[in-house]
Order: sequence, then structure tokens, then C-alpha cells
Amino acid sequence: MRRPARRIGTLGDVVVLGALAAYAIPFFWQLLTSFKPEAELLRVPPLLPSRLTLAHYRVVIEQSLMPQALGNSLGVATITTLLALVIGLPGAYAVARLPLPGKHLLLLAIVASTAFPQIATVSPLYLLMRALDLRDTWAGLVLVHTSFALPLTIWLLAGFIREVPIETEEAAAVDGAGLLGLFRWVVIPLLAPGLASTALLAFLFSWNEFLFAYTFTVSGASRTVPVALALFPGVFEVPWGDIAAASMLASVPPVLIVIVLQRFLVRGLVAGAVKE
Amino acid sequence: MSASAGRVPLPLRSLLVVWLLALGGCAGGQPQSEVVTLVFKYARILGRADPLPALLRSFEAAHPGTRVKGEALPWTSDDQHQFYVINLEGRSPGFDVMMLDCIWVPEFARAGWLTDLTTHLRPDELAPHFPSAVAAATYGGRVWALPWTMNVGLLYYRADLLAKHGLRPPETYEELVDQVRRIRIAERDPALDGYLWQGKQYEGLVVNVLEALWANGARLLAEDGTVFPEPARAADALRFLRGLIETGVSPAWTTAADEELSRRAFGDGHAIFLRNWPYAMELFETADSAVRGKVAVVSLPGRARGERGVGSTGGAHLGVSRRSRHPELAVALARHLASEPAQRAIALGAALSPTRQALYHDSELVRAHPEMPRLHAFALAGRPRPVTPYYLLISSTVQPEFSAALVGVKPPERAITDARARLSYFLGAIR
Amino acid sequence: MLLLAPTVLALAALTVYPGVWVLWLSLQHRIPIFEVSRFAGLDNYAFLAVDPRFLNAGRATAIFTVASVALEVVLGLTAALAIHAQRGGRRLALSFLLLAWAMPAVVTAKLFEWLYHPTAGLINVALGARSLNWLGDPGLALPAVVLADVWRTMPFVAILCYARLLAIPAELYEAAQVDGAGRLATLTRITLPMLGRILLVAVLFRTLDALRAFDIMFVLTGGGPAGMTETLTVYAYRALFQTLQLGFGSAVSVVVFLLVMAVAWAYLKFLRAGTTVAA
Repeated sequence: MRRPARRIGTLGDVVVLGALAAYAIPFFWQLLTSFKPEAELLRVPPLLPSRLTLAHYRVVIEQSLMPQALGNSLGVATITTLLALVIGLPGAYAVARLPLPGKHLLLLAIVASTAFPQIATVSPLYLLMRALDLRDTWAGLVLVHTSFALPLTIWLLAGFIREVPIETEEAAAVDGAGLLGLFRWVVIPLLAPGLASTALLAFLFSWNEFLFAYTFTVSGASRTVPVALALFPGVFEVPWGDIAAASMLASVPPVLIVIVLQRFLVRGLVAGAVKE
Repeated sequence: MSASAGRVPLPLRSLLVVWLLALGGCAGGQPQSEVVTLVFKYARILGRADPLPALLRSFEAAHPGTRVKGEALPWTSDDQHQFYVINLEGRSPGFDVMMLDCIWVPEFARAGWLTDLTTHLRPDELAPHFPSAVAAATYGGRVWALPWTMNVGLLYYRADLLAKHGLRPPETYEELVDQVRRIRIAERDPALDGYLWQGKQYEGLVVNVLEALWANGARLLAEDGTVFPEPARAADALRFLRGLIETGVSPAWTTAADEELSRRAFGDGHAIFLRNWPYAMELFETADSAVRGKVAVVSLPGRARGERGVGSTGGAHLGVSRRSRHPELAVALARHLASEPAQRAIALGAALSPTRQALYHDSELVRAHPEMPRLHAFALAGRPRPVTPYYLLISSTVQPEFSAALVGVKPPERAITDARARLSYFLGAIR
Repeated sequence: MLLLAPTVLALAALTVYPGVWVLWLSLQHRIPIFEVSRFAGLDNYAFLAVDPRFLNAGRATAIFTVASVALEVVLGLTAALAIHAQRGGRRLALSFLLLAWAMPAVVTAKLFEWLYHPTAGLINVALGARSLNWLGDPGLALPAVVLADVWRTMPFVAILCYARLLAIPAELYEAAQVDGAGRLATLTRITLPMLGRILLVAVLFRTLDALRAFDIMFVLTGGGPAGMTETLTVYAYRALFQTLQLGFGSAVSVVVFLLVMAVAWAYLKFLRAGTTVAA
């Protein structure tokens, strides 16, 4: 990529970086708070603590639902992602490649599904969960999460599939590959980065999801991280330090994804919007 | 990470679905064991010591082969209610005995979530308790819960400040306001607040507003079910409360204050008057309290040309889930926790008042808490909130209206009008 | 066809079916715990039409949406331009931004709840000794919520714009430089028009998200104080689950649903019209 004509100098780079680092101050302040001793939390200024402590993390890990919630979130998010991909990939392929009657309508329905407000379906889903006795289970939450991750997955994957040149598939077909073989040896390997991006977005969606998790989880058996954080117990006053520690633990997977898998994340975000 | 996901062939995919459904079934199940486990849900008890663990262990000792797990509820009454509703509405709530706010008992009984205790009790078993507590536990002529703890709204005041300025505890709110003004002028302390109470948008707000309504001769619910039968007086009471904040008698943060926030501010010595429950008394007398020995209680004031002041009663009851797997044992646990020795232990260790009237004159308890006899009188004179299965519906509907009036976003008259319109519609939907 | 079957089935069962069911629920008085279940026609909607709390929720939603989207677009665009102008350190810059976006909204809410603390919150400390009651003052609560949401979602707009900026061919800039165009002219004549379409897409997405927003105001203020931050979604949730008035609550949900769909439809038409005009 050639450099466009106008660029700022190194000083400008530093200024921009500084401004954006300042943008992330709320996060860093919470990080600092999670290590601040209890007695110093409410005495501000001074901003910096006299010493760092792991007490809040200890409380969160030993006495709160967070560890269980982390396990639940990991499980639910992983299964949701897998399900969404497994169901969504064939569907996306059909939408992207195969000529179908009424495809335009289907596409519209899928797009409309991504705009669906969760509040609209929470009451019938509540009755459904009640009838199927799936409340406070992983299965119930996975079902609900998948229903919302699916349209997003299909839309993204369809876009990525369209980027794969059709000639490769035609060549494979000429070589005698069936549909399954086509998938296995051609589509998926070429689609790997797109799959990764989609998987990341689906995972993040499920991990961050709050409304359904709040309504359908009851105890440590299935309570996810956002709900555990929102309902973090405070007996007398709000335990700011413990909440800060819990917040940091809740952010670990998203932050990891941001730092390590940034490229895929950006690709996914962009693909969803730029594709027309 | 998921590049292999697409390679999952069809049969494996269906296996996945089956596995998920099995997971769902497993997640709800319980391991088989010989030990019977009962789950008791309760809110954390404030006070010096938590007497609950010892009580649970003594029950286990009396019933070998039983284990009792105590689990904490969310902190606020509204959150607890939501927790219970969402849980009990489903099939298997996962707990046997539950601590209930007395205002929920008719609702839970009506919804069929509680075990009918009438046949499990001796005919006079409930006689030692406060009549209002027993009334709150009764619905449709049957007993659905056991009275456990008692609450009544009280006026705390700084006896030292009043004595210093030659004032007696106020009998009317107008007197209180006047006393606040005088003391603040004389003390010249800008950090000294006047009258603290609970104005945050939650159940406590309804309690405070009800007490103001009653003092002004208004009601929330008439016997025939009419809401706000005296709307003008109700609006006037609301206006008075708003006026307390506007004129600075109560600080601006009153609209965000709950029991604990107001108690702490008063306990730090920053206020002259406080409306709160009896539990605070003990906390003001701890060794490191800034107001140790300076606090006294009196019944809530009334309005001049209005009614006598009366505190709202409250408290907790013990209910047994109708879906408990061990109903006999669960009922035994509830009776154990509501028994005389148990209530005595709770009154001694924690800052909770019993529902058994005799305990208020028990020598051991009076030694530990000299206020007990007076508390007894206050509780007997107290007035319960409307005992109806629809209380929560009513409360959650009027809370935002009251809050809007207190914050100054709505004139009190309109708040009452809006509250009436909404309640009429919602209650009409039920009947 | 077989490929589509699981998708269509899943969508039908979990999205379409509940979508129709909620409409049916909204036409009833349905309170499970009191065994109330009867047809009510349009009663719930008639009540909502004159319900002050509903109108207030609509007002809060409208203010939140407009303010949020406007701020996000302006800030996002600025950030994208700034990062694009960087020579090095872009990855780090993007990481700072993405940090804010990737976290659950609940974490953001807790973050800002702490920042807004009247005495120990960083914001009040930075502003001096004035202890503003951000979350308790009826005038400040909604701006406080908007700020928290903008912080969390601005990176999305920034990333979209940044990706688009990367796609602008360098020749355009070089040609402009040859023509002697200044920085501002380059910005207004070349960059912004090229970004026009992506900005519209960003506005569409963000508007739909803002209309549906729930987590952040629910956890940060619970809709208070005095309903100042109670958006339509929060109102619907309270109506549904505080007292399990499923019929009435469903009516509010349906209104949210129709509103979101209407906005989506309007935007898409606008975008499509834009395409034909451009073409």
C-alpha cells in the first residue's frame, strides 16, 4: 500500500496515540481500581495507590459467582459460535451461490433478523423456555443466542463466500468433487480467515449478551459473566474494588481478541458493513 | 480456531443437537445421595453477628441425615421479588424454605407457590406473634407463612442536640421542620443535615410515602379496592415531602437514599433526624460509632391538624415452596427458625426484632437491647401496608410516580392522577 | 435446498415464531401468576397511546438515539482520519479504540458508574471539587448514559471509516497535491465525499443499535432517576418482568419492534435511492 501524499510527522503520531490512549482511560482507571486497597478507594485524590493489592481479585475468585460465570460464558459462547457456523455456513453458501426462487425475499428476511430488537422476542421466548424447562440451562441460552447469532453469521459468511472466486469451485467440480468434498477441500480452506472473523464476532456477541442471559439464567448453573457482574452482591455499600476486579476478569477474552486477533476482528466488522 | 467447524459432517451435527438437549436435562438434575439437602434462601442479616449458621447447624443436629444450605438473595427487596418470581414461575425453583418480605405472602399464596401450613401447625401456634404479622401471613383463611422478623418505622433523633437547645422530640412534622431550622442556625454547621429518610425509587420509597399519606389522612387503597380514595390529601402529602427537599430540610441526595445510605450519614453524626427501621439502633451503639449514646427513638410525627404519626410495619416471613422435594422437613425447618429460641438468638446476635411479643420483655434481651419494651409498643401501634396479592403490582406502578414528584419532574397532583390511571388499568386487567 | 433447511428452520422457530407470538400476546391480558389470560383486543395499545410513562420513554429513546449517533459519527470520523494520518503505531491506536468496543456493555456500565461516583469518581475529581450527582440528577443522568454509550460504540464508526479510507486510491491524493490543494480542501473535496456512503451505513447501524439499546441504561441507572433514562426497551422489560404482565409488556415490545423496523426500512430505501442517483 503506497503512502498517500499527506502524513503527519512522528510528533503527530505520538499526539494521536496519546489522544487515543487517553480515550481508553476509563478502562485503565478500572484496572487501577481493581488493584487499589479498599481503604484508599474513596479517598481521591491522590489518584495513585500507595501499594497494589490482589485482595479484590481474591474476593472475586473465592467468594463470588465469577469463576462459575466465566465457565458458563465460555461454554455458551463456544457452543453458540460452533452451532451458528455449522448451521450458517451451508445456508450462507446456498444464499451466496445457488440460484433460488425467492432468494431476494430470504435475504431480506435475514437482514431484517439482524435488526430484530431482542426485547421483542423475550416474552414469548420466556414462555417457551418455561414450557421446555430450559431455564437456567446452557441449552436454553445457547438456543436463544444462536437464534440471534445466526442471521449475522449468514450475512457475513455470504459476503466472504462471494469473495472466493467461483472458478476454484468450478475447477473442483470438474475434478469430480461432490458438495461435501467441495466444502471440505475448497470452500473452507479459502474461507478460513472469513470464518475466523465471523466466529470471533459470534463469540463476542454471545459473551457480551445481557438481556436474555439476565432473564433466563437463575443460578451459578448457567449465569453468564455480564449477568454475574450486573448482580454483583454488595451488602452495605457498593464494593467498587471487587466490581473493578470482576470487570477486568469479565473483559479478558474480549481484550485478548482485540490484541491478538485484531486483524480478523476488523475484517469482520468491516465486512458486515461494507458489503452491499 | 473454527476452521474445522465447517468440516463437521451431517451425522455429527445431529449428535451435537442431541448432546445439547441432554446437557439441558443434565444441568437441571441433582446428584443422587442419601443425605437430604434443604436449601434456605434468605437475605444477608445486618448486625454484629450472623446467628443463622448456628441455627441451621442445630437443625441438622436435631435431624440427622439432613444438610441445610443457606443461600443469599439479592440485596434489595425489589430484586429479591424479581428473583423469586422468575424462579418460582418455572418448574423447579431449587429451594425449599424462603425468607419472604411480608408484603409478598398474599401474592405468592395466590400464585400457588407456597405450601399451605395450616394443617402443619398447632391451633394456637401463631398466638404469640404480633396480630399484624399473623394477618400478613394469612390469605383466604389459611396460613401460608410463619412470621419471622418484625419491623416498624421509627424516628431517630439526636437527643444530645435536642437537649442542648431545650427541645422535646417533635410530635408533628411542622415541629420537626421548625426544630431543624433552629438547631441548624444555632449549630452553624454546614455539614449538618436536617431530616434523613428514604427517597430512592424502590420499595422503601413507598413505605416513606405511605407514612406521609397516613399522617395526612390519606390512603393508598380503600377497603373496596379504590386506589387513592383521597387524592387531594395524597397529593398534599407528596408535596410536603417534596418541600422537605426543596427547602433543604432534607438533603438533595434523599432521592437516592435507601436505608443504609441514610443510616450511615446519620451514624456519622451528620444529621439531626432520621426515619428508619429498628435495626439501626444497635448499629449506632457500636464502640466506634460517632453517635454512641446520643441517639434516641420516638414514634413518627403526624401532621398538625392531621392524624397521629404512625410507622409502617414490615418484616420477614418464612415460606415453604410448594414444589419442595422434602415438604415435611422443610416445614420443620421453617418452624425451627421461627421458634422462640431461634427468634431469641436472632434478636440477640443480629439487629432484627422478633415477631413473638413475649420476647420484648424477656430479661436477657432487654439487657442487651434496652429499647425492646418501647419497640413493642411502637410495633403494636404500627400500620401494615395494604395486604393484597396485588401489592407488588401496585408498588411497582406507583414507585416511578412518587419518585417523579420527589425529584421535581412532575407536580404531585399529576403524579397521583397518573398513578390512579395506571393502577385502574392494571388492576382492571386482573379482575 | 437441503443446505438451507437448518437455517430456515432455526430462524423460523426462534425468530419468526416468537415474532408472531409476541404480537398475539400484546392483544391479551396475560399475567401467569394470577392466571389471567384473556383477549383484550387493542386495549393495551389504547392505553399506551395516552400513557405518560410511555411517551416519556419515547422521548428518552429519541434523545438518546439522536445524541448518541451524532456524537459517535463526529468522533468516529475524527478518530479514523487521525489514525489514517498516522505513519506508524496504527495497530496500537486501533487497539486502544477496540478496547472500548469489545467489552460487554455491562462492563462499560460498571466502569462509568465508578467514574461518575460523586466524590471518588475520576470525572468529578478532574472537574474540580464540585460533586455533581451524575446518575442521580434528573438533568444529568441521560447525558451521562449517552456519554457512556458513545465511548463504547464510537470505535465501530471509526473502524468503518478507517477501512474505507484505506480503500481510497492514493492517486486521488497525489493528483490533488499536484493541483496544489490544501489540507482542508483535500478533506472536504475528496475524503468526505468518498466516505459519504460508509457514513450513511454507519448511521443506519448505529441508529438501529441505539433504538434497541438496553444493557447500558438498565445497569447504569435502571431507568432512573424518576424515569429520565427509561428508554422504551427498559420500560418494556420492566412491564414484562417486574410483575410478569406479559400482555401489556408485549405491547410495548411490539412498539419497539415496529419502530426499529420502520427506521430500518426508511434508511434502506434512502440508501437504495442514493445508489440509483449515484449510478
